[in-house]
Parts: sequence; C-alpha cells; structure tokens
Amino acid sequence: MSGELIYEVENVSKNYGSVVALDGASLKLHAGEVVGLVGDNGAGKSTLVKVLSGAHQPDAGRILLDGKERHWGSPREALDAGIETLYQDSGLAPHLTVSENVFLGRELVAPGLLGKLGFLAKKNMAREAHEDLERVGIAVPASSRSISQLSGGQRQAVAIGRAVSWARKVIILDEPTNHLGARQAGEVLEVIKAAKAKGLGVIFISHTLPHVLEVTDRIVVLRLGRIVMDAPTSEFNSDRLLGTITGSISAAGAEGE
Amino acid sequence: MTGSVKVAPTARNDRRDHLVGVATNQVTILIGVMVILVGIFSLLEPKFFSVPTANNILTDWGSVALIAVGQTFVIISGGIDLSVGAIVGLSGVVAAWTMANGLGLDQTVKGADAAPGLVVGALVAVGVGLGVGLVNAFLINVLKIVPFIATLATMGACLGFSVIISSGAPIGSANDFSLISAMDPKANPFSWTVLGVIIVIAIAGLFLHKSRFGLYTYAIGSNSFAASAAGINVKRHLTMVYALSGALAGLAGMFVYIRLGAGSPSSGTGRELDAIAAVVIGGASLMGGIGRIWGTILGALILFTVQSGLIMIGVAPDWKKVVVAVLIAAAVSAQVLQNRNGRK
Repeated sequence: MSGELIYEVENVSKNYGSVVALDGASLKLHAGEVVGLVGDNGAGKSTLVKVLSGAHQPDAGRILLDGKERHWGSPREALDAGIETLYQDSGLAPHLTVSENVFLGRELVAPGLLGKLGFLAKKNMAREAHEDLERVGIAVPASSRSISQLSGGQRQAVAIGRAVSWARKVIILDEPTNHLGARQAGEVLEVIKAAKAKGLGVIFISHTLPHVLEVTDRIVVLRLGRIVMDAPTSEFNSDRLLGTITGSISAAGAEGE
Repeated sequence: MTGSVKVAPTARNDRRDHLVGVATNQVTILIGVMVILVGIFSLLEPKFFSVPTANNILTDWGSVALIAVGQTFVIISGGIDLSVGAIVGLSGVVAAWTMANGLGLDQTVKGADAAPGLVVGALVAVGVGLGVGLVNAFLINVLKIVPFIATLATMGACLGFSVIISSGAPIGSANDFSLISAMDPKANPFSWTVLGVIIVIAIAGLFLHKSRFGLYTYAIGSNSFAASAAGINVKRHLTMVYALSGALAGLAGMFVYIRLGAGSPSSGTGRELDAIAAVVIGGASLMGGIGRIWGTILGALILFTVQSGLIMIGVAPDWKKVVVAVLIAAAVSAQVLQNRNGRK
C-alpha cells in the first residue's frame, strides 16, 4: 500500500550541551505512508522534527531524500526540496495576515521592475491563499485578517493548510490537533488522509493516541532520544502503545524493521 | 471535504470590521490629535498658524523623522537602536572634518560653491552611519548581544569618537543655508532638505508596507522562529535593518550639519529618545511586529508641534517633556485597549 522510500534518517544524534536529545535514531518514510511519531515529553520528538525540517543540524548521522544524502543548512533548503513542517504552536507570525503567512518565504511579486525590487502582489496572494486553503478542505475567514484575530483552531487550520498546500514530498505535522475540538480534529485527520492519498509521506506527531491509531500506517516510539519501537499500527492497541511510550512494556524484540 | 472548520466570511462583517478599523486606527487618531493641537495653539497665539512656524517645525522634524523612520524598521523587527542619536553627531563631525581637512573647504565657501563639498559630506555621513549600523548588526547577530545593550555600547563609542575627532568643538566647513530655509517665506514652508527627507521617507514607507523587505521585517518581529522556519534568513535581514537605521541616522547627521553649518559632537544627543517616542506615539509596539510609517511621521510631527507651540504660547519649554510623556502613555494605553478589543 505504501510507495517508494522517500525520506530517511539514519542513526542521527543531537546533543544540547551535555543533554542528549537524540541518540542514534533512525526513521524511514515511504510515499503515501503516514508514520506516527510518539513519545513522552522530552523523548526527543521535537528535536527529531527540527532535524527532519532543517531547523537544526544533527551532530551525527545521515539524512537521505530519495536515496540521496542531504545536509540541510537551513529550513529554506528543506522547504525547497519539498519538505513542509507544521511546528507545534509557533509556526505562524501572529501580526501578519492569513495570506501573508501562507506565502511567507515564497511571496508572489508584482510583474516587472517592481517585482525585482521585491514589491508584492498582495491581491494575488490573498486570492491564491484562499483557494489553496479551500482546496485542502479548510475554510478560514478572509485572507486579509491577521492571525492574532483568529481562534486557536482557526490558526491551526491555517498552519495545516499552508503545510499541505506547499508540500511536494514530505509533510511533518507536530501536534496538529492541539487546540482543536473533536469535530475539527476529525477534519484534520481527513486532511492527513487526503495528503496520504496524494502520495505524500506524512509524519504525524501527537499525544492523542486514538488519533495516532486511527490515521497512521506505522508507529515509531521515542524514549530518551532512542527509538524503542517501530512497527505497523495494526500491531498496537492503545494499552500497548501507552505502555511502550512510558516504558512499562519492554520493547525488546519488537524493535527493528 | 468542504466541511468548513470555521465560520465563512460575510461581506457585511468585513465591511464593519473595516469601518471599526479606520475609526480606531492609530493614524486617524494621530491626525485628530494633530488638528486639535494646531487648533489650540493657533487660538492661544494667532502667529502660530503661519509659514515661518511651519518651517521651524518641519526643520526640527526633518532630522528626527529620518532616524525615527529607521527606528520604525528596527522596532517592528523586534529590536531597538539606541545609537542613532550618537550617529547623528558622529556622522556630522566626520563629514565636516572631511570637508574641512580633506577637501580644504572653510566656512567662506557658501551657496552653490558649497555643493560639491556637501555631496561628498553627505556620502561620508551616510557611510559612517552605515558602518555603525553594520557594527550593531555584528554585535547582535554574531556576538548575540541583545539590541538594547549592543546599541548602547555603540552609542557610547560614537559619542566618544565624535568628541575625539572634533576635540569637543564644532567643526565648520562649506555650507549653503538656502537649502534649509523655507522656499518661499510667505507661502511655502518647505525647504529643499525637508523635501528631500519626505522623498526618502516615502521610499522607505513603500518598502516597509509594499515589499518583501518590509514583510520580512514584520515577520521577524512577530515571530522570529516562524520567519526562519518559513525560510527567511533572519540574520541577514536584521543586518540590513540595522544598516538602514544607521544609514538614515548618517543622513540625519548631514541634515543637522546643513542646519548648523558645522559638525557638532553633541548635535544628536538625546535624539534617539525623540525618535523612539515618535515611533511609540505612532502606534508601534516595542514587542515587534506592529508599526506604520505614517504613525511614526505623525508622531514626530506631534512632538515638534508641541515643542514649538508651547514655546510660542510662552510656556516654559520643560513642559514639553511632560506633554510628550502624556502622549506616550496615551499612545501605549490606546494600544493595550485595541489589543483587548481585537482579541474578543
């Protein structure tokens, strides 16, 4: 059911001073696959997300996209390679409008000389942002509203819409169902399924285990910077998943491919 | 998949939001304050409403408006630049020193003959400001010093250098005072230098509100992590912002030089605070992400209208500081109220 291997990290480690955030973690992601990344607070999920998105450089280990080794010097390089990331709570600029956020870093410029000077085509961006978000299945108030005027759920909708509409290969969603009510969270899960159907590889990070069990094909459990479990979602139920996360169930023997 | 996450927009809501936005808009309020001030001063002292007074106010406004516009970019980006007042002094002194010692022009060179010297002086002044701005950016980006401390340090260094270079006394050189006087003392209060300032500000305003450069300035001040995650090179952008602020302060230094006919080490002292006051009265937030060029321009204009007006109606000039303090407090509390309403 999953396609080719598209994105892979091998044995990545990352220390912050004397704190070991990631200790030889490996992860494989295929086209059209949703991988759930779970773990307790401090397990290294956010660090792994930052390594995958180019925000941080690992101290050791390899990153491969389509089988080729890559070194992300900045988020820009990962974005340009088709990898989109939704960061938990901090991915939007609250004072900018919806459309400015959707296009941030990829603005449309006016034609001709004005465009060369960096003058923006604001109306085109507003229209296209609206269309992009609707195509993803997310309706938000007017593109000209600033993010600070939106509710938490609306902000999250914009952030997800932006990531999904720009992603070409991989989409990394860090706690996308935070701040959302049950119905809205359900819609986010639909958006994830649609992204998978389009052939994108999705990495889904969440503390809400029923969501993880519902939408993922495979679950990777992180504990203390190490991957303690990597198995098809069908092998888990919520008790087993919770036990693996907290360490009350030994993962020995289940580790590996 | 069209099950909408949120309420769909309606035209009526948008129009109402727009009207409420205009009514509570900082610029609308500032224009109102400006009209009231001019009205009160004109009633108390009819001579206030005159071309010479307007020329005086605009001349005071010009140099501070330049550095306040630079400061607007810096404050929107979430930083602050305390060095701009000292840059005004240093760039004026270095420009004057270059014109006097490098070009051999003394104060007897006047009128049109002074033009080549003034052009060189202006380039030198902008260059000095740009250089200090780059030093600020280095301290902030590379040495990771917070902007307040980094620019406090360069402020001290600039003040020191300007006294050392000038031996503490103004350096006189070539000048053309017609550049600073009203074009027509009866009908037109604008001078060539003020007109120049307006053109520079108009260009800066277009870049702030219409271009990618401005958008990135807002984005970084609003959420620097989000900006960097969206692929913006935050350090490079901040370098340009501080360089711009320094260069505009250098240009302001030349403005002050033309006004005095000399480069004086103390000519910019305290101007950074006037500039910050103008930006804050204009509605910018020191937390970053908020601010308009029109707000800053009007904020600076209000400052000098108050100053001139109080002097003309015979109030001790020290009251200016009290009035400015009230304006700053009013501007900031208006902002707090707006935020509270905006959040619903």
